[in-house]
Amino acid sequence: MTSDSPTRINPMISHRAAHIGRAVLRREDRSPLTGRRRYVADLRLPGMLEVAFVRSPEAHARIISIDTGPALALPGVHAVFTGADLDDVAPFPHKILYIQPVGQTPLAVDRVRYVGSPYAAVVATDRYVAEDAASLVAAHTEFESLPAVADLDQALAPDAPKLYDDWPDNYLVNYPAEKEEVTRAFEEADHTYSDTFVSPRQTGLPLECRGVLADVVDGQVTLWSSTQSPHIVRTTIAEMTGIPEPRIRVITPAMGGGFGTKTHIYPEDVVMPWISRRIGRPVRWIEDRFENLVSAVHARDQRHDVDVAYDDDGTIRAIRCKAYCDVGTGEIFMPGTAPVFVTGGCLTGAYDFPNMEVHHFCVVTNKTPSGAYRGFGVPEGLLVMEGIIDQVARRTGVDRVEIRRRMILQEDQMPYVMHGGGRIDSGSHAKSFERVAELIARSLERIRAKYADDPDVRVGVGYTNYVEPTTPTYHLTTGHWAGYDSATLRVDPDGAARVGLGTTDLGQGTETTAAQLVADSLGLDPDDVTVVMGDTDRAPYGLGAWGSRSAIVMSGSILMAADRVMVKAREIAAHMLEAAAEDVVLTDGEFHVAGSEAPSVSWSQVATAAWVRTVDLPRGMEPGLEMSGYFEPPDLEHLPDASGKVNAAASWSNGAHAGVVSVRISTGELKIEDYVIVHDCGTMINPMIIDGQVQGGVAQGVAGAMYEEFQYDPETALPRFASFMEYLYPTCSEVPEMTIEHFETPAPEQPLGVKGCGEGGTIGPGAVVAGAVSDALADLGVEIKATPITPSAVRQAIREASGPGGST
Amino acid sequence: MKPAVFDYYRPATVEDAVAALGTSETAKVLAGGQSLIPAMNFRLAQPDLLVDIGGVEDLDRLEVGSEGVMIGASVTQSRVMSSDEVAGAVPGLRRALGHVAHLQIRNRGTVCGSLAHADPAAELPALAIACGATMFIRGPAGERTVDAGDFFLGPFWTDLAHGEIITGVHFPSEPAGTVTFLDELAWRAGDFAITGLAAALATGDGTVSGARMVSFGVSGVASRMTGAEQAVLGFAGGDDGSDLYEAAYEDAADAVDDVHATAEYRREALGALVVRNVRAALANGNGRGV
Repeated sequence: MTSDSPTRINPMISHRAAHIGRAVLRREDRSPLTGRRRYVADLRLPGMLEVAFVRSPEAHARIISIDTGPALALPGVHAVFTGADLDDVAPFPHKILYIQPVGQTPLAVDRVRYVGSPYAAVVATDRYVAEDAASLVAAHTEFESLPAVADLDQALAPDAPKLYDDWPDNYLVNYPAEKEEVTRAFEEADHTYSDTFVSPRQTGLPLECRGVLADVVDGQVTLWSSTQSPHIVRTTIAEMTGIPEPRIRVITPAMGGGFGTKTHIYPEDVVMPWISRRIGRPVRWIEDRFENLVSAVHARDQRHDVDVAYDDDGTIRAIRCKAYCDVGTGEIFMPGTAPVFVTGGCLTGAYDFPNMEVHHFCVVTNKTPSGAYRGFGVPEGLLVMEGIIDQVARRTGVDRVEIRRRMILQEDQMPYVMHGGGRIDSGSHAKSFERVAELIARSLERIRAKYADDPDVRVGVGYTNYVEPTTPTYHLTTGHWAGYDSATLRVDPDGAARVGLGTTDLGQGTETTAAQLVADSLGLDPDDVTVVMGDTDRAPYGLGAWGSRSAIVMSGSILMAADRVMVKAREIAAHMLEAAAEDVVLTDGEFHVAGSEAPSVSWSQVATAAWVRTVDLPRGMEPGLEMSGYFEPPDLEHLPDASGKVNAAASWSNGAHAGVVSVRISTGELKIEDYVIVHDCGTMINPMIIDGQVQGGVAQGVAGAMYEEFQYDPETALPRFASFMEYLYPTCSEVPEMTIEHFETPAPEQPLGVKGCGEGGTIGPGAVVAGAVSDALADLGVEIKATPITPSAVRQAIREASGPGGST
Repeated sequence: MKPAVFDYYRPATVEDAVAALGTSETAKVLAGGQSLIPAMNFRLAQPDLLVDIGGVEDLDRLEVGSEGVMIGASVTQSRVMSSDEVAGAVPGLRRALGHVAHLQIRNRGTVCGSLAHADPAAELPALAIACGATMFIRGPAGERTVDAGDFFLGPFWTDLAHGEIITGVHFPSEPAGTVTFLDELAWRAGDFAITGLAAALATGDGTVSGARMVSFGVSGVASRMTGAEQAVLGFAGGDDGSDLYEAAYEDAADAVDDVHATAEYRREALGALVVRNVRAALANGNGRGV
């Protein structure tokens, strides 16, 4: 933290109606509800043409030839470009030196490695014609099929076909580890066993798919892109195309969600401005849902082979985990290598468990590249940890709540350093678990009674205790950027404030919370604060919104900028009041001498002096009333130490989830009957928005727990999905009612004590539902170790547990 | 969404509609469009002509008589579902329609459109077979009728020849002492069935004395469950139902494996569905799906 970065609201301000901590209504809600919010798909420019990308129908093939003639002959087609045409664009950067380089070009040139990989682009008067032409290009492309790799086992087989000829094998990352104390624990423990857990492929599934509108005029690039990180898009385009970065403006209009999938820089972000520059017309591409399913990043797809050492008294001595992530082809910037490290680092959840050995592997297959999705590796780990705890409880006969109680982090252990170096600054881990256990015990009793007369229905309960790393470094993800973000704050002559932020809003309410922060730090009303994000020309350089980081980074940067504005404003006000600056205070938006309400000077008077009536400024003072803050979160580390440990997150929220699930044995039907969350993200800026984050997060957690899975044909590696007929997400009918309670344990080192809250909801449900179904069916010997837990999967588990010929 | 190029024609009479269909090999009838339009948007269907029957006179009739319910080709599912008269004559229709997609889709989707589309996992074809419904078909050669039991031939495949349209479907009134119901397992509310059962049971004296049972979502076409129909005769709910379960399980020998469920699951689930619904029908005089 820089020496003058404030951690709390400037004490010279007093504000009777403080807004931080209040459920201020979201200012972002009116426009989407009335159809007035403008997304990329709503934008049209004069002379605009539309682009369709031609995507590989092959899982793995060489491109022998592409005949663009028939497509070009179609009326309305303006141009067709193939990968070879973009020879003046550099490949996507390779910044993480410990992973294999994939050499991804914006369009595939001579080889395609997954279904959906873009290898040509068609420009036409409208998308209908563009699609007609894209079909023609596809029909006139000659492929030579190559053997495809459909899953981890195939990729790691000794004679596996290689995706990249110059690699030794299909490991993008191969990072084994060994810990002496773990080896010793396995020798000393009463018992050991091995097991496997699986979290399959999913994606973030934003309501709004991606979209890019590019317009290059006189060498000035304007790019509207539905991205979570417009500045990173700008820098990457500049690096790959050689266009001077100041001549590139990236605008993110309103976004309909991103959930991590829009943190990546996609081929379309680079190809679209290239096309506009080449043909001299604005061009737009709007991703359809099929494209979103096959070419926006996937996520999860992890397998964990674990060895567990435990004692008869239920003590888990050590866990050894081989964590494999099937990252698809790896052809995405930034690469999808980071989540599995987060899985490893956070696998122990909110438990005091140092004897953990994690081997990390990222393996390439002929599937869509994987990357970021809300939870970013943490849910996969909790499925493993809670599963192990429940198994050890079952094997030893020790109560599963009791085992958790023994292991859970206590307040006097803070700060607690996890096995991978994560430094948990504070939290309410034990308290949250006790509360969640108490709440769920009540509903468990009620729900058991409800089904007491139905012998076909069993009821079980599941628990999880997680920590949520927030505001992480981007250095381990990108190999390039790190962790700060920025705010530029201005007070205009009318006394209203305008703040530009380097973070973005993808629907999470950042405009509202930023206005609350500015309002309190300048003594204004939130309605007097305008928030500008998602425009590289109007907002300062920043890294965007991801990793539950906006709360901390915007709090820090806004407070820094606001303090600087306040220092100057106070001097101006003091001059106007003919007083000494240190005697001037601000109460409800009026500057006055401490102890006397009158005379007073308003923000408008101060700002008018700064911008307009500069004759009223103190002699020699520089005009203007705009200040910036660039906030680097304290405690955040960007590189591992010699032992490989790193505190890669600025803060650690925590929570406990529990759920009661009913299972119908004959059909495997399951229902979440009750779901309880006790949540702690430190100081809450807007409790209503945080509840929304938790609810939405749980919905996506339920999606992973019970519904979503991208399946690929094991022989051909062709996707077994093309639409929402195959890829099922939960609707509002499937998301359970939930009870949310909060503790507020402020982050000791972070501004205002905030921690971040975007992902906690998503982390819990997989582990909870798996635990609850296993509990419900315990007497049948069922242990659920994979998601999604569908009725078909439940029946299969029952069959397998009962042995051959087993039935109900 | 980006369909390929097509022509659009909105005739006023059935004759015109049939004539128009005859002008093109790939012409399709547009009624509610709830399946056809998505398929066109994905370019899975690329008809060069859509014949919109929304404006055809008489096809919007919904008539309830002593013999049963006549549903015209442009009558929406919501309209059928909300009619108390229909529910009085053929109670199974309202019960079944409650499982068909969501309200917004039922507001557009038509009963006859669903029958003509013949999705193997759709509810209405199975119900039509269970109820002994009759299709009224018009084509270049004139009018004909086909029993629902002979109409559905395979996945998205019916007895309808090119150039023919369904003008209406007749559901006979539910006989006294019979209960008609539909139940299904779907992963989400409103989805197509993973496993479904439509049935008409004669249960007048507390024992099943006659049965027409149809599975859907299980194999490639809504199918009569001949084994279960036999096994259920004389069933009064007294035993554990394992014979009935086994019979239904065997009826589903051609169950499909897909991304949602295994074939084995579908067979087990069909067995469970049959047993629990027959029990419920005997106990309550209607199916669990009510």
